[in-house]
Amino acid sequence: MSPQYTIHATPEAREAGAVDLAVASLPASFGPAEAGSAAVVRVIAGLPGWPQEAVKAIDGGARGIVVVNPAAESVGNLLEAVEASGSAIVLDERWASHPAVAGAEDAVRTMAGRAALLDSVATAPAGTGSGELLAEHLAAVVRLTGSLENLRVVSSGTHGYTVSGRLANGAPVALQGVLSRARPAGVSISMLTDDGGVSVALPEPLAAWPATVKVTGPQGEILLPTLYESAHRATWRRLKEHLDAGTAPSDLAGFARLTAQLAQLG
Amino acid sequence: MTANHAAEGTLGVGILGAGPVTQAIHLPSLARLGDLLTVRHIMDVDAAVAGSVAARVGATYSTSIEALLGDPEVDVVAICSPHQFHAEQVIAACRAGKKAVLCEKPFAWNADEAAQISAVSRETGVPIIVGAMHTFDPGWLAAVANWGELPETAHTIRSSIVLPPNARFEDFATEIITRPAAGTPDYSDAEVIMAMLRGGIMGLAIHDLPLVRRFTPDFAEVEVLEARIVRPFGYVISLRTPTRTIELRAAMNNTWKPEWSFEAFSDDAALRIDFTPSYVQAGSATATFSRAGETTVHGPFAHNGYEGEWREVAALATGTKQPPSAQTLIDDLTFALDIAEATVACRYADQNLQQAAREGAHA
Repeated sequence: MSPQYTIHATPEAREAGAVDLAVASLPASFGPAEAGSAAVVRVIAGLPGWPQEAVKAIDGGARGIVVVNPAAESVGNLLEAVEASGSAIVLDERWASHPAVAGAEDAVRTMAGRAALLDSVATAPAGTGSGELLAEHLAAVVRLTGSLENLRVVSSGTHGYTVSGRLANGAPVALQGVLSRARPAGVSISMLTDDGGVSVALPEPLAAWPATVKVTGPQGEILLPTLYESAHRATWRRLKEHLDAGTAPSDLAGFARLTAQLAQLG
Repeated sequence: MTANHAAEGTLGVGILGAGPVTQAIHLPSLARLGDLLTVRHIMDVDAAVAGSVAARVGATYSTSIEALLGDPEVDVVAICSPHQFHAEQVIAACRAGKKAVLCEKPFAWNADEAAQISAVSRETGVPIIVGAMHTFDPGWLAAVANWGELPETAHTIRSSIVLPPNARFEDFATEIITRPAAGTPDYSDAEVIMAMLRGGIMGLAIHDLPLVRRFTPDFAEVEVLEARIVRPFGYVISLRTPTRTIELRAAMNNTWKPEWSFEAFSDDAALRIDFTPSYVQAGSATATFSRAGETTVHGPFAHNGYEGEWREVAALATGTKQPPSAQTLIDDLTFALDIAEATVACRYADQNLQQAAREGAHA
């Protein structure tokens, strides 16, 4: 049986997005395009200039586009091209694309009005660029909380960064990046309320490690169901759903908001 | 029951101040150490409280320091009174010729007081320890024994504290009589905010600042980058020295779920220590080392840092252990005081900037 949607990935995207593994885990839905034939889905790496590459892919007839690890860029022109073509663009982000994020987002937004503090730590191997880590870190946090106010870099250097901000209700936000090979990379997000809160730990997309999402209240603590699926595979599964239904993902609109947040930080 | 039935051959303990810390922390800890220490005298300015607390352990009670220090049954003294009395009471206990003194943190309010205490301790030969309980926790001590070069190579340090109200754990530990009344702060008053930050550092962060300092060789050059409060009580403080990034977080709210951690990271290694809550006898902290794919866990052990403090006091009083360096105690104190002062100064500077911005906008 032929796969439902054929794909073509650039070499950089194929490696960065572990595309072979993700596609192999959805074999009825996706498969490589035959040599010489146009692929339905194009996969591009989110290197600087990626929105232009995406526009080219749309112009070339792609119905679906996956962007792996998108760098902060203006996506105004791309949004217009997507609207005109009806193509579906999904972003495969290191942490923000983890399948547990949807449940975590619901939990965080339900309690955010009562938040007293949001404290988050992202870790990545020593040698990672602080700016690169901050962009991925902020993408995950903003996905849960919505836009943050008064963002400011408190410190930044070769070992990491500290960024401060606040939630809509005025509660302090503290984002810390730590560069160390000691632990697996990941991001933890803890939002405390007057009587509990939400804690989220998002793993790397290298494997199908589940995230941990815990909601704490006066009656106790609930562990949201563990999802043994990587951010990469979850991204592909979302794309399939949009292609099947002919609906437009909200990834780009969210990315535009994230880029605006990053611009506040200079 | 005769509380002092098994007191023969043990060290007599006198406690100055019979508030919740004495009731919920020290008496239960001492109850586990009946072969070493026996409470013989409780002093509090409130005679009813002193009498009631003393009766629980079959001890004498009084309302004056002189009575307790003059009691020949008292070998070692614990100072659990309000902070402002600590220095003079430590000095008085040393001059009374006791065998050892345990003083709750902070043991002084400034470096001069700390130096005076140090001089009196040296002159009288009476050893002093400060009740920084986490430094006596077996989980921390296991970390000390196994951390290799991490204190020298760490670049990032975090202290994070999330605590329910003290009463939750006091009630697990004992049946408290007399609690200080809690008020609702006026968050619009800048002086209230400053007092919260100062109180947060000297009353809460101070538990772990000696740990932070062990990983900060250039601690004398600490700088406060940002300081904010967390409601109803807590702080978010970013510090920096020339070689270290230090982040302090604390939130005291109405949750049932405590979390108290200390972390240090170098390029290749990390240490995380998870402490048990204060007040309850819930065993020691757990220390976890991570080194690129390898994790080593130490603990938990059966007793906590409060019991560790008392074991240390007994060892000092019997001469089986040498007292800590006075300079260590002074450095720990001045580190905390420097951070408290710099935090308040940082907030004043922010406030002045905001005021200037408002005036500029209206000009």
